[in-house]
Amino acid sequence: MTTLTSIASGGLQGYILVSLLLFIVGLAAVLTRRSILLQFMGVELMLNAANVALLAFARFRGGDAQGTVFYLFIIAVAACEAAVGLALVVGLYRHRRSTDTDRADALKQ
Amino acid sequence: MFLIFALLTLIGATVLTFQRNLVVAGLCLVVTFMGVAGLFLLLANPVAAALQIIVYSGAIVVLLLFVIMLLNEHQEEPAQKARPLQRYLSLALLLVLGAGVFGLVAGSPVLRRLNAGALPPAMTLGALGDALFSQHLLGFEVAGLLLLAAMVGAVALVKRDL
Repeated sequence: MTTLTSIASGGLQGYILVSLLLFIVGLAAVLTRRSILLQFMGVELMLNAANVALLAFARFRGGDAQGTVFYLFIIAVAACEAAVGLALVVGLYRHRRSTDTDRADALKQ
Repeated sequence: MFLIFALLTLIGATVLTFQRNLVVAGLCLVVTFMGVAGLFLLLANPVAAALQIIVYSGAIVVLLLFVIMLLNEHQEEPAQKARPLQRYLSLALLLVLGAGVFGLVAGSPVLRRLNAGALPPAMTLGALGDALFSQHLLGFEVAGLLLLAAMVGAVALVKRDL
């Protein structure tokens, strides 16, 4: 019972639960959708879930600046990943005239 | 307040997952990122919330929407072949994962012990800058180089003939 009240009132368990559920929803988007753009959005959701867990643990374990510094680096890498990933999507579309991942199942045309 | 932002995050993500229109899915992504930024605010970390809004709901979603509109594929095309078994198996796997996650979080003694500890004061930009430029200066420079490399790589990938 105390766990449930902790989840509902914003304790550490609540943040970790939200983070894990967000990860699962992102995984569902990657697994069940065929458009590569929607799969990309699912990957972004999973990355955000990891960030929520990181900053929740950083706060509840003492709250020094190291967690936020790591978050800053993660966000820089996420921006790089988004730029290169979307460039790859554009390249794929140019080759196949489609963003459907079921069509892009061969290494060579 | 926590429940509002948590529900905003999870509902945005769920609507995104079952959305047909890609542009609407991109806007659901904005809602989700805003919910996550609200969670960061509740974690007494306004710096991370500002970064989340600027980089994610600003830069990354705008880039994503640009690509969606550039490619002119606003709908997912119909499936090449039906895969009913995989579809139900993936949903069942996710339900099992969700139940397992709930049990894990509810039954964890470590989380309960951490939750009982005293909470530190809020994160400030000054503390972040001190830690970043005194202990992580090399990482900061490498991140700058990485951004440059990603920019050059993205241009090289998209350009038709270099």
